[in-house]
Amino acid sequence: MIDVFLLALLALQASGSPAIEHVHAGVAAEKSGQLDAALAEFQKATELDPKLAVAFTDLGGVYIEKRDYAAAIPPLKRAVELSPDLEAAHRLLGYALLAQGYATEAIPHLEQAHAEDALGIALLDAGKLPEALGVLQKSLAQSPDDPELLYYYGRASGLLSKQVFDQLEARFPNSARAHEMMAQDYAVLRDVPAAEREFLQALRLRPQTAGLHLQLGELYARAQQWDKAEEQFRLETQIQPGSAEAFYRLGEALLQSGEFHEAREALVQSNHLREDMPETLYQLGKAAAMDGDAATAQQSWQHLLRLEKDTAVAAQAHFGLSGIYRKQGKSADADREMEEFRKLQSNPGHTDVSPK
Amino acid sequence: MGLALPAPLSLAVPLFDAKHPRGLDFHHVNSPTPQKYLIETMGGGVALFDYNNDGLLDIFLVNSGRLVNPMHPPETFDRQNPRNWNRLYRQNPDGSFTDVTKEAGLANAGDGNYGMGVAVGDYDNDGFPDLYITNYGKNTLYHNNGNGTFTDVTAKAGVEAGGWSCSAGFFDYDNDGHLDLLVTRYMLWDTQHSKICGGEWQTYCPPAEFPETTNILYRNRGDGTFEDVSQRSGIASVKGRSLGVCFADYDDDGFTDIFVSNDGMRQFLFHNNRNGTFTECALEAGAALTTDGRPLSGMGTVFQDYDNDGRPDILVTVLPREVYALFHNDGNGLFSYRSLQAGLGLLSAASSGWGLGLEDFDNDGWKDLFVAQSHVLDNVEEIDHMLHYKEPPLLALNHNGRFERADSGVTAPIAGRGAAFGDLNNDGWMDVVVTTLGGEPLVLLNHGGSGNWLSISLRGTRSNRDGLGASVQVNGQKRFATTAGSYISASDKRLHFGLGAAEAAKVEIHWPSGIHQTLEGVKANQFLEVREPEKS
Repeated sequence: MIDVFLLALLALQASGSPAIEHVHAGVAAEKSGQLDAALAEFQKATELDPKLAVAFTDLGGVYIEKRDYAAAIPPLKRAVELSPDLEAAHRLLGYALLAQGYATEAIPHLEQAHAEDALGIALLDAGKLPEALGVLQKSLAQSPDDPELLYYYGRASGLLSKQVFDQLEARFPNSARAHEMMAQDYAVLRDVPAAEREFLQALRLRPQTAGLHLQLGELYARAQQWDKAEEQFRLETQIQPGSAEAFYRLGEALLQSGEFHEAREALVQSNHLREDMPETLYQLGKAAAMDGDAATAQQSWQHLLRLEKDTAVAAQAHFGLSGIYRKQGKSADADREMEEFRKLQSNPGHTDVSPK
Repeated sequence: MGLALPAPLSLAVPLFDAKHPRGLDFHHVNSPTPQKYLIETMGGGVALFDYNNDGLLDIFLVNSGRLVNPMHPPETFDRQNPRNWNRLYRQNPDGSFTDVTKEAGLANAGDGNYGMGVAVGDYDNDGFPDLYITNYGKNTLYHNNGNGTFTDVTAKAGVEAGGWSCSAGFFDYDNDGHLDLLVTRYMLWDTQHSKICGGEWQTYCPPAEFPETTNILYRNRGDGTFEDVSQRSGIASVKGRSLGVCFADYDDDGFTDIFVSNDGMRQFLFHNNRNGTFTECALEAGAALTTDGRPLSGMGTVFQDYDNDGRPDILVTVLPREVYALFHNDGNGLFSYRSLQAGLGLLSAASSGWGLGLEDFDNDGWKDLFVAQSHVLDNVEEIDHMLHYKEPPLLALNHNGRFERADSGVTAPIAGRGAAFGDLNNDGWMDVVVTTLGGEPLVLLNHGGSGNWLSISLRGTRSNRDGLGASVQVNGQKRFATTAGSYISASDKRLHFGLGAAEAAKVEIHWPSGIHQTLEGVKANQFLEVREPEKS
């Protein structure tokens, strides 16, 4: 906690001063982990020289080390009063205030100390979301693998997004986007009738909005209302003829409805728009197999397996191929594919396909 | 002789009248507790059988029992209390029922037994159907004495099993003319090792929370006793979480095979090796998992030919966000997953199914689908607004192999569990009895229509007396003689065929003994008993 800067500053102080002697003793005690002894030494130093900013900073630092943030704040405040440019004191004071929940009060101290990571958190806690996002992004650029920073960055992004959407809802409550957002909220709550009502209202207001039919279709699909889902996905493909996802979803809904030939057409289009998506290739193979076209199914799944080796969708492709080979009388190939399927089962205890 | 189809029934008219017939005053007691003991949500078996051979189907209903919160060992379920008895209702000629439980000797279900299901079969070939009751606890075999009474012969017969039994069924796996018995068991579980799942939602736990267990095969020695051949036969070589069982000779080799539905894992298909052993081959045969290689929450199951290609297919009811699984028998011992082709993707993806049957309800020559429905979790609607605890049963009429929803006549949602099928009023139209968890059973009487029909009773001589395991072909349709299937329930042993506009039928029977019998020009609209020739 007693950092290099403070030690250097200390070296500049006149030696021989009794207060400085106690500071040195305190630093030594702190280094050896004797925090109570260090506290006593720094306390003594501040009593002997009430204008010695370094002693107050060190005293606050030890309190922080002891996680006694409330006790740390008064000496650190005194330190910045005595030496307004002392960055270490500002940083420690910022930390202590933030830890005690005084985010707004912590911000100027953390700014002065250039403590970007803590500043981002303080800005977030103070509700200054755009600023927080900027600072955290900067910190993340320097420490991209810091889980704390990733957490706070994600939290800030989510809160900012919600804040903007809340503003949209408050200012334009009857807009298509406001209804769309409400629909999304209801969908998260799995309240299908309410979500459906809001999506339909949004569509009435702006019928050609890209993505609305897709979202409504996904809602129906989650509720297993596949005929309605199919209708919405089909409408989305008309609005967005270049959307691979819309065609994929349409193919999926048609499969569920047993319309295999049409499903294949939609999935072929999806694959054309965005090539080599494993999920699309899998569903394409499935639709072909169900449509009685084993050759195309085999081709799609083999292509998929050239792209994906050890994922769930690869396991499904092996399972499908095993069935095709079995029906073709190719027992050895069927057994090999089944073995690959077994190997790839992520949870064999649950799926329980392992030989007993 | 081709199949002539009548004009289709109007779908605007419900097919069934939902009745509470006079005298049928059963109320299922499952005693739900805050402990969420899994057994609470699984019971409610029903059997349709003619116990007194008066030509009218009678109804046997399995009760469960009293649970306290919490249970302490030794577990007792207050089965001596009349409200917790299993009940036998004799059908009267006017369609009403009389409770004959006490005089039939069926009142005492055993205090340590929490009731689940029922199987029916004439295990001693004396012409009177016997009852096998499955329990959490010990199972009970009641011998039908032929005079309106039953005797508990479990100890003598050696079929008490133990643990948690669910569906059971009689069949003759070795074609020796004596009905054997397959008992499914759900899991290793007891009230002292119960758990509550779902965090704040406090729900019943999924099956994977408890260990798997083995099923039991009892071989009938023919002297009133049975031998546990589970290990020797290979049935116990795999462990599962089994709830349903059904039988058919899927590869047409003359020996009955077994399909077992498992909850939350792969399904089992036991191929009969014709030497007293079975090989579990569902994965290789294509009847273990969905087309995507996913496990199923298998509940009830039925093994009949839905598409009139002469080969028995398998249907399994499951939980929502799966689809009722239809494994089409492709021949050569292989099955393919055809749920979506058959229209079940649209019909069942949001539903939970239990008891089911493939019966020709509109007598058009195609077997239709009936499913008793309800979610497992009684608080599922709080957890997931998209799902429902109680649901109306599913009735789906079969149009050339594709199922389409029809009006069953049941408007109120119920917590359906067991379902048994038979012609209760002998009018030539198949009826249904559905049980509800913790409630009253529903009797669904078929309105009937214009199609012709034929109902066949088999009278085995060299084969078992009721000809269970025979395959019977009528005007191109095939049925496999069984009382098993559905979920924890037993159906009428008579084989019902819708004939459409055809007024006569050609009947071909392959008896388990190997005898092949053909009857030409059989008149429609009759109950026909066919006796197995003594000599081939």
